Amino acid sequence: MSVLEVTNLSITFGGVRALNEVSMRVSEWEIVGIIGPNGAGKTTLFNCVTGFYAPTAGRVRYRHHDITDMPVHRRAALGIGRTFQNVGLVKGSTALENLLTAQHLEVGYDTLAGMFGVPKSFAEEEKLRRRAGMLLEMLRLEDVAGERAADLPYGVLKRLEIATVLAADPDLLLLDEPGSGMGPEEAHALGDTLLEIRAEFGVTIVMIDHHVPLVTRVSDYVYCLNFGEVLAEGPPDVVRNHPEVVRAYLGEDPDAPINEAEMEATLAEAGEPV
Amino acid sequence: MIVAAAPLSEQLGNALVIGVITGAVYSLLAVGIVLVYKASGVFNFAQGEFGTVAVYLAYVASDGNYWGLPFGIALVIGLAGAVALGLLTERLVIRPLFDAPRVTLLVATAGVALFAIGVQFWRFNDPAIRSFPAIFKESARITVLGIRISDQRILILLVLAALAVVLVAFFRSPLGLAVLAASQEPVASELVGVSVRKISSLTWALAALFGGLAGILQAAPNGGIGSFQPGFLTFGGNGALIPGFTAAVLGGMGSLPGAVGGGLIIGVVEALGGLSLFEEVPGARSVMVFGILLLVLLVRPQGLFVRRAAH
Amino acid sequence: MAIEEAAVPETTTKRAFVPTPRGWVARGAVWAAIAWFVLCYPGNFLSPFEVRSLEADAATQAIVFAVIALSLNVLIGYAGQISLGHQAFVGFGSFSSAYVVTDLEQEFWMGLVVAALVGAIQAVVLGAVALRLSGLYFALITLSYGVMAEESIFNIESFTGGDAGKDAPRPIGFESNYRYYYLCLGILAVVLWIDWRMMRTKGGRALLALRENPRVAASLGINVKAFTLLAFAVGGAFAGIGGSLLAHRDLTVVRVNFEFRLALVFVLMTVVGGLRSRSGVVLGAAFFALLGNGKLLDLLHLGWFFEDKLSLPIDFVPLVVGPLLLLLTLTMYPGGIGQQIAPVREWLLGKRFDRHAGKVKEVQITDVRA
Repeated sequence: MSVLEVTNLSITFGGVRALNEVSMRVSEWEIVGIIGPNGAGKTTLFNCVTGFYAPTAGRVRYRHHDITDMPVHRRAALGIGRTFQNVGLVKGSTALENLLTAQHLEVGYDTLAGMFGVPKSFAEEEKLRRRAGMLLEMLRLEDVAGERAADLPYGVLKRLEIATVLAADPDLLLLDEPGSGMGPEEAHALGDTLLEIRAEFGVTIVMIDHHVPLVTRVSDYVYCLNFGEVLAEGPPDVVRNHPEVVRAYLGEDPDAPINEAEMEATLAEAGEPV
Repeated sequence: MIVAAAPLSEQLGNALVIGVITGAVYSLLAVGIVLVYKASGVFNFAQGEFGTVAVYLAYVASDGNYWGLPFGIALVIGLAGAVALGLLTERLVIRPLFDAPRVTLLVATAGVALFAIGVQFWRFNDPAIRSFPAIFKESARITVLGIRISDQRILILLVLAALAVVLVAFFRSPLGLAVLAASQEPVASELVGVSVRKISSLTWALAALFGGLAGILQAAPNGGIGSFQPGFLTFGGNGALIPGFTAAVLGGMGSLPGAVGGGLIIGVVEALGGLSLFEEVPGARSVMVFGILLLVLLVRPQGLFVRRAAH
Repeated sequence: MAIEEAAVPETTTKRAFVPTPRGWVARGAVWAAIAWFVLCYPGNFLSPFEVRSLEADAATQAIVFAVIALSLNVLIGYAGQISLGHQAFVGFGSFSSAYVVTDLEQEFWMGLVVAALVGAIQAVVLGAVALRLSGLYFALITLSYGVMAEESIFNIESFTGGDAGKDAPRPIGFESNYRYYYLCLGILAVVLWIDWRMMRTKGGRALLALRENPRVAASLGINVKAFTLLAFAVGGAFAGIGGSLLAHRDLTVVRVNFEFRLALVFVLMTVVGGLRSRSGVVLGAAFFALLGNGKLLDLLHLGWFFEDKLSLPIDFVPLVVGPLLLLLTLTMYPGGIGQQIAPVREWLLGKRFDRHAGKVKEVQITDVRA
């Protein structure tokens, strides 16, 4: 059965249809990419799946649970993890503290017991620290463990965010533009990291990104959204060469003769090897 | 003032009349609160103190023990002092914290209020209760619904009515429109030549003026009755600040006419707390005010008069 | 799980700083001095100085204010909820405790527990309202609630004893001011322990996360509503405890004591103390308490300046000085007292002395700017 199934999802904001009958299916251990121009509704889709928005129509199903009406933190408890466009971290806390916070669902003592300093809580805290340490090492973040997130550079924050989202031991990872702010080489390295994470942790990944080569290389299946609708879906190469997708990105009449020079320039800008 | 043995209908009538009169003071405060909120996005907890500062300055100016000036001049001095406090607050407290979260600014204005009260306690605590010389006679010219309305109360209502007219005219004038524009779109306003800083100062000055008027009207002698003590507008049994805020919320926190209407409504509701019906409930009036505030915020946060939902 | 299974190479981390033997001795000496000042000096125990009973009582007020400031810090500092009616929580605790001991004829300890419970319940009810309102409007509600408590609830004769108030006798064995000081100190220690453990474990981390970024907190599995209510419960309980200690210190609780002014003073001392800094908040509270009862000025021999030169009665010094300190804190020293003492605090905990420790960029209650 599929890990995530979105059926005819629609959402309207004050007269604007942000999503219109969007359907999507993600299978176990797949990496699914979501591309599309800005304002296409990609993050809105994520927000509906994670529970920040309530859709006006349609269902969201995670494994055998219908989660359409479930509160955000309960979906997280089911195993859905998510990153944010402007880096979802507690900026006032250190990297280590962020990783401890991220293990909220894994903590072995209950809140009150922790407050009163029950002996079990001390041992459990040690265990949480060790796990946090391992994650930091895995993502090459040991040196910044004690630094406040607010003081860290953007690229490091992105890695830290991935660490926090892994700390909660998710089954489904929703990554919102993990490659934003990265150049072509960094994006390539990110792709390797994502494949590694899938292999090591056995997670299913859905990612939104603008780096078309990254998405194409790493994904098993791609959806392209535009104006709140699924424009095209399929294996990466099919979608990438789909005339509608090309038009959405390049804004040209697909039947008109292609201006080679302009196309090269645009592709180079998108990070595509020319 | 409400006789316990009177029939309910008469009590209700009394409550209505008294409520409108006390509500007028709340309206004045509410207008100041809304003005500041529109200009700086801040809940000004010092609004009541603009009033008490005006009162104490007028007192110092008029009382024989201090400056002994004629009452009229003393009032003007009092109001000027309130405006000065408003401008000072805007300059020294609001502007430096311009970028700060709104809650921080709220705490800052609360600090200003506390400071003003501290100074009042410092200088005027012995005796704590003071009053203006009686300038109005006891005679009640008008009797409405069985309640004799003194000259002082008539004056309050007249002032309020005059203010309403002035306000409407003001906000249609270029200057008034600039104030409204600056509060809604500061960047665009600057681009078309409106000095947001000057407008901000002006708004605070206006708010302080209204606060000052509220204070003076609240404390003005009513046939010999009418006294004030440190912090009387903000704290205490007759504190007007919280009803003023409640009125502003009722009015939708963005609407000036709404603030006026809200003030009158709050005044009446609060007066209802004085009904013999509620004799057994201590502090029924403050319970009423709290109840209305809670009700409006939970059920209709955009206020009673505003049609679109507020932020 | 996969994380533990992943191979973990033994990496050499940077060697953590360890003080030299002389460093340890220096730190130990300062710790000893602090311990003596807090534990021995006010009780005339192992002390060459003679502290009078009244002064021990003044010290007790500092301790009780510290408990109250810690309670407000949980609400404002940890959970980002502004409470301007806090004196209602405290007052409720005071009256409940007095009622339980006097009318219900129970032990002081029962009064303390009831006060904590009453404070917690009251706070949670208000917290449920907070969940529905934005920060500014919630502040207004707490203000109105505080006034209502003062005018209405605290005027219920059977509960509060009217103008005469309610008696609140101290527990057996702790009647003297010196002994009562140690009792309050002990309770402050318990409150500090719970606060410390809370912030070092799951609950505290959840609070800090939801205060700063509720969306991210929720997506990490934190039940934002539940933990917000928890913060109210803890803050309310601490306030109730503070109220109980206050009541039995004064020996009579009168409603006039819980005026609106007090709410603002409480907020002042917490913000000036430094939000989210336990030591700062405790020192801030002690400062305001000792300022208000004149002991601080006595100690510094500055009483004459305020009383004679400025004719400012000691009672009102906090009202005038406090807001000025608040303005200073908000504009120039956002970390408050906590930020100022951070270098010393870190040093005492065995780290290298760093002048820039504890830098805070602005007073952050919530993040809402628009």
